[in-house]
Amino acid sequence: MDAGNVQHITDMMYALRNPAGVPTYPIVFMTLGVLTFALHIFFVQLMLGTAGVTLVGAFSNRPYWHRLSAAMLEVAKVSVSVAIVIGVAPLLFVQVIYDPQWYTSNVLSADWVIAFILILILAYWSMYFYYFQNAKQQDKNTAPKARWSMILSVILLLVVGYIMHNLTKQMLHPELWQSWYMQNGQMDYSGSKLHASNLWRFGFFISMAIPVAGAMMVTYRRFKMVREDADMDYLDFAAAVGKKWISVGSAIALVFYIGWMMTLPDTAGDFGTSFWGIAGGVALVAYALWAKVRLKDNSPLCSYMALPMAVVAGLVVAITREMLRYGILEGFFGYDFMDYKVVMDWYSTALFFITFAVLGGAVLSYYLTVAWKVGQTKGVYTPSATVDRMGTAAIWILLLWMVQFFAVGFWVWAQ
Amino acid sequence: MELISLYPTWFEPNLGSGWVIGIIATFHVLASHTSVGAAMLFAYLSYRSYKEDRPDYLDFVKRYGLFLLVFTYVAGSITGPGIWYSTTVGSPNGIGALIHSFVWKWATEWVFFVIEVVGVYMIVYLVGKVDKKTHMKISLIFGISSLATMVIIIGILSFMMLPGKEQWFAEGGYLNGFYGTNTFVQMGMRVAFMFTMTAVVGGIVVSTIKDAAFKKEMTRKLGWLGIISTLIGAALFQWYITSVPEQALLVMENRLPDYFEPSIMAVLAGTLGYFIVTMIQPRLLVQGFAGAMTIIILVAGLWPEETARESMRKPWVAGQYVYSNQVIGRDVPGMDIESQLPTLEKVGLLKAHPFTPEHLREVNAGNHIQAGEFITMTYCSNCHSPSRTGIRPLHRYFPEGMTQARMEDYIRGVIEPGTIAYMPKMPMTEKEVTALASYLLLNNEGGQEAITAAIDKEIAERKQKALVQESGDGQQQKAAIVSLNTATSQEAN
Repeated sequence: MDAGNVQHITDMMYALRNPAGVPTYPIVFMTLGVLTFALHIFFVQLMLGTAGVTLVGAFSNRPYWHRLSAAMLEVAKVSVSVAIVIGVAPLLFVQVIYDPQWYTSNVLSADWVIAFILILILAYWSMYFYYFQNAKQQDKNTAPKARWSMILSVILLLVVGYIMHNLTKQMLHPELWQSWYMQNGQMDYSGSKLHASNLWRFGFFISMAIPVAGAMMVTYRRFKMVREDADMDYLDFAAAVGKKWISVGSAIALVFYIGWMMTLPDTAGDFGTSFWGIAGGVALVAYALWAKVRLKDNSPLCSYMALPMAVVAGLVVAITREMLRYGILEGFFGYDFMDYKVVMDWYSTALFFITFAVLGGAVLSYYLTVAWKVGQTKGVYTPSATVDRMGTAAIWILLLWMVQFFAVGFWVWAQ
Repeated sequence: MELISLYPTWFEPNLGSGWVIGIIATFHVLASHTSVGAAMLFAYLSYRSYKEDRPDYLDFVKRYGLFLLVFTYVAGSITGPGIWYSTTVGSPNGIGALIHSFVWKWATEWVFFVIEVVGVYMIVYLVGKVDKKTHMKISLIFGISSLATMVIIIGILSFMMLPGKEQWFAEGGYLNGFYGTNTFVQMGMRVAFMFTMTAVVGGIVVSTIKDAAFKKEMTRKLGWLGIISTLIGAALFQWYITSVPEQALLVMENRLPDYFEPSIMAVLAGTLGYFIVTMIQPRLLVQGFAGAMTIIILVAGLWPEETARESMRKPWVAGQYVYSNQVIGRDVPGMDIESQLPTLEKVGLLKAHPFTPEHLREVNAGNHIQAGEFITMTYCSNCHSPSRTGIRPLHRYFPEGMTQARMEDYIRGVIEPGTIAYMPKMPMTEKEVTALASYLLLNNEGGQEAITAAIDKEIAERKQKALVQESGDGQQQKAAIVSLNTATSQEAN
């Protein structure tokens, strides 16, 4: 690519920027985007991994596997919801600072973008169908019903993952956008094709589901072991499977990661051997080693740390992914999201952070404390006075938020 | 280079991108409004259960919650971002305008979404596992959070019709864009209709209650909720109409299909009738009846309402400054946004569009139809499909026997200056007028087949020309080499 072509592509990306600008410094959106992506992909991997455990259990003859399968299905079901809702945030932030790249990539594969919505709904319903078919099954020795629906669900989830992978990868190839818009000399307005994929990269993010599911099984043992009715043989079995999945899964993911770094486009330069290129792989190896050493004796504290440590490893990979994007777009094409026009809006910026930290913190601490305690209690759970006060405080904070929303609104309206 | 922020165009020939967005949005409105209304109903029932020691209320909450979890929460939580996805591919600058002004508002709404998702699982699965007081608190938090998601999004929806306050154009500022008369009236109207939907969809769950007395009680509760909210919603709709710009009313009068008003009235009357009948005779409330009412509301109530809201904004798609064809058609000094019309007037669409391929940047005899197609796709296809079906097909607007000259006159006199109230201005060069006229004419007479054949011919001729040029260049190159060799040997001699 000659310098003239590169300059044309850079000009095009700058021209596509939204003239309304952004309401705070772009680095803030990038940081939030990376953090929320790390959480989103963690829940995606948890959903896929636990759905995988559900399938293995569904086809196994061993009663312990049947129990584990049913337990992990509960996790998978909730993880789909959480993955979707957490995914809204990175989807929002990518549109703010990478709108030229994201919107172009989407329009050029528009049919698939629409299909994404429908396929995801079908995948989710398919999982629920399997759940309802087997929810009342008490006999752990019989094979579950409608296993096809769980297989279908996993396949459809992989398809939506593949669509998203392409959309993200297409963002990195502004030099090819024009050729995708014009196929064989003719304009193609259909948006019917996916244009760019790298199976190493896709395989890496998917294979990370194996160690994440492993971490979930280790945590599951720790969480359930405190109940009076805990079956320790079964829980030890779950943790043993989990530890195996962490080590084997990390090795598989590492192979894919190395493959990804070795097949980066020319526009990425020597990113694969740069600090961040190596850091992603190191994080993965470090996680596997940590699990090998610290989870050996089922230490109570470390068993709880298995999932947070997986999030940390995922965060390093999320930073690597962002640095790669920045490296290509800024390093090669000279497009820097940091120079996006800022039209500062302090009120809405402050309102978000206060809502996130104070309101979100108060409500979710109450919700999660109750959910946690219920999971460890046999019979009806009645909260302590402290937990009860947490609930009252959360309600008051919410009411206060509503009052300020309308008070500010009416004041502005009356001006 | 004078490029403007225009993305590639997605053309969906069967429905049109506008209807794809509309279908997803309508489905989302049903799911999300029902969910928010139900969340508030759950808070109320959970409170009554705690105060009156009525476990049957919590059983109902669990049933309705599970039903919603599987149907509306799954579909609602996916079609929500689904609206982003569909508008991204159908109207990237429209959604971009909203995102860039209201990103923090959406981010704030997201905090409430997370609370909602955790909350709905807790409400459903913790019935009988926590004491009633705790369940009441969980439900209250869930109800208020759900309402918060709704009031936030309505400010953004209102901005799509018009910024909250006129000052926004001069001064900018998120608050000026978000809050206004339209925001509050729309909020009231939507909250009312949200309870109507909750009452109708709730009927599906009530119909499965075995205990006749409890079924009667819940039917009456939902019936009253439905009747009162429908009447309030209908009254607020009248107020809402007065809060939209005059232009929107004009469009509404002229552009909306004849069935719009009767359809809305019939749905309102039918809904009231449904509530009255089921309250008098709860045994008539069976799953089929409640399910059919839900579909009627979706198809005959929500679909025309969402279509109307979409149509009334024309020619704008967001904030009265982004045209439905993605061009920025107005200065917004408060946000330092400049109209793109002067650039288009100066250089034309083909030179201003970042994605115009090299061979289409200049209109010539060899690319007339392709250039015309490119202009049509960019300027027209969001609202008018060049196919036989789809959204408001173009061929319906031109009579048989149009000539090139008449078509060009129409473009110069009507399309370019945007003299039709709900149409944007579409500046273009004289050559682009000719190309667009040629394309529209051919599309009118021969449809897609004729267009495809003409474009194939143009491409074949272009390739032929390129080959000839290449071989010509080759001959010249050979001649140059021979002459160079001759000169070199002469020099050597």
